[in-house]
Amino acid sequence: MIVVDHVTKHYGHTVALRDLSFEVPAGVITGFLGPNGSGKSTTMRVIMGLDAPQQGRATINGKTYRELSSPLHEVGALLDAKSVHPGRSARNHLRAMAAANRISQTRCDDVLDFVGLTAVANRRVGEFSLGMSQRLGIAVALLGDPAVLLFDEPINGLDPEGIRWIRDVFRSLAAEGRTILVSSHLMSEMALTADQVIVIGRGSFITRGTVDELTAAAAQDVLVRSQDNVRLAAAIAAAGGVTSAGPGGSLQVAVLDAATVGQLALRESIALSELTPVRASLEDVFMELTATATDYTSSTGAASA
Amino acid sequence: MRSEWVKFRTVRSTPIGFAVMVLLTIGLGVLITFAIRSHWHTMDPVARFAFDPVSTSLAGTLFAQFAIGVIGILFITSEYASGSIRATLAAIPQRWRVVVAKVLVLGVTTLVVSEVVVLAAFLIGQRIYAGVVPTASLGGPGVARSVILGGAYLALLALFGLGLGLIIRHQSAAISVYTSLLLIVPIIVIFLPSSWQNVVARYEPSALGRAMMSVSPSANMFSAWPATTVLAIYVVVILIVATVLIERRDA
Repeated sequence: MIVVDHVTKHYGHTVALRDLSFEVPAGVITGFLGPNGSGKSTTMRVIMGLDAPQQGRATINGKTYRELSSPLHEVGALLDAKSVHPGRSARNHLRAMAAANRISQTRCDDVLDFVGLTAVANRRVGEFSLGMSQRLGIAVALLGDPAVLLFDEPINGLDPEGIRWIRDVFRSLAAEGRTILVSSHLMSEMALTADQVIVIGRGSFITRGTVDELTAAAAQDVLVRSQDNVRLAAAIAAAGGVTSAGPGGSLQVAVLDAATVGQLALRESIALSELTPVRASLEDVFMELTATATDYTSSTGAASA
Repeated sequence: MRSEWVKFRTVRSTPIGFAVMVLLTIGLGVLITFAIRSHWHTMDPVARFAFDPVSTSLAGTLFAQFAIGVIGILFITSEYASGSIRATLAAIPQRWRVVVAKVLVLGVTTLVVSEVVVLAAFLIGQRIYAGVVPTASLGGPGVARSVILGGAYLALLALFGLGLGLIIRHQSAAISVYTSLLLIVPIIVIFLPSSWQNVVARYEPSALGRAMMSVSPSANMFSAWPATTVLAIYVVVILIVATVLIERRDA
């Protein structure tokens, strides 16, 4: 289990994380979401002991990263796929990492095999494509067979085949009971892979829950088609709803739910040809949740400029 | 330790750096000793009297010191440049352990290579001098010491470079500072009043190197062992500062 406990981190005058706290439960895939610049990578770096927070701390199974004596056996991380000396071969990079934590050579070959890099293991990493580098990064993360895995924006820059591969890897790792924290700024990706998500914005905790919980909590619009949209819109407005033009001559109704819209239509004797609750996509929820956080960003930016 | 060893030998810059160092020490040694041999008969008697066959045969080290410093600098700054320092610290989060491992790997390898190379330069130089110019043998007073400390000088400079690299973290900046300390500082010292010069100049790293490799101490210079101690103190101080900084700074 990963615990981030009241972490505040600033770089000079820039506040990256403000009093951020959350827990990542064991054995599931947790999505870590936020717009660009919201502090996801900083959080990962604090968990990994690379950056020291001014306040608070982050622990993995009760210990800070620096307290781990053989960290690769407990935590595997892919923070930046390109953080390998470009002149070193993939196999030698793994060997160097393995030697630091008493991991065998055969394990290096095993993980290379798992990520499908055996054929290019002796090539210089500088010649690798981004997809190959990501695979190598995952090999490094898996080297010590750790129970906790961190991935920072693992699908950035990958082609569809690479994305599908990485998704499958996550699923198989989760099926083995590992704890996985995956950051992303793409909600839709998390809807496919994560059991639950933690949302942050502007360095602060916003919300957490399963994907279903988050979408259910969000406001739902209603899409309605009728023989007389003008009269229906007037009735809806009178009842406190807000209408806008929907696709294909439909009305998009906010604030009121489908049942209320149906009753209004009945009262006004307007025949409906369609009445559909529009389930908010995770993307919409995300935009809604982080809107204030991003607004805050630009206003402070303007104030300090 | 093993990890740093793997990292040290698996990049091309390490063998290239050593090759340059070997080439400079032995190659320039050959060049300089040949030049002295061919001009020996036209040299003035005072110069002939003061002639030191040991340090002249080791003159190549004064050029090799740049190559060896760069090896030390690159050993750490390449990790910062590529970002692989994050992978290193993920595997070994106790950063002082990374510094200790790097110091051991770099110190031992450069010491072994330097000793062999400096000894080779000495022996080749003496072969070239033989018959024309007075020669020295390893059994002569202070000769073996000069040769051994010549190698030690290079190894200490490699560690000095490592310390600078850890503090500065950017390879071009670290290399500039390193060369400035070795080349520019002596030039600045030349412009000081001579009474100051006599005090300050002996503390320059390259002056310490010359002192370590000369058979008999010259005026206003340290003799060999004190010079070694001063240089070793520089290295220890810079490595301590570097360790404190790497522990405190964000990676």
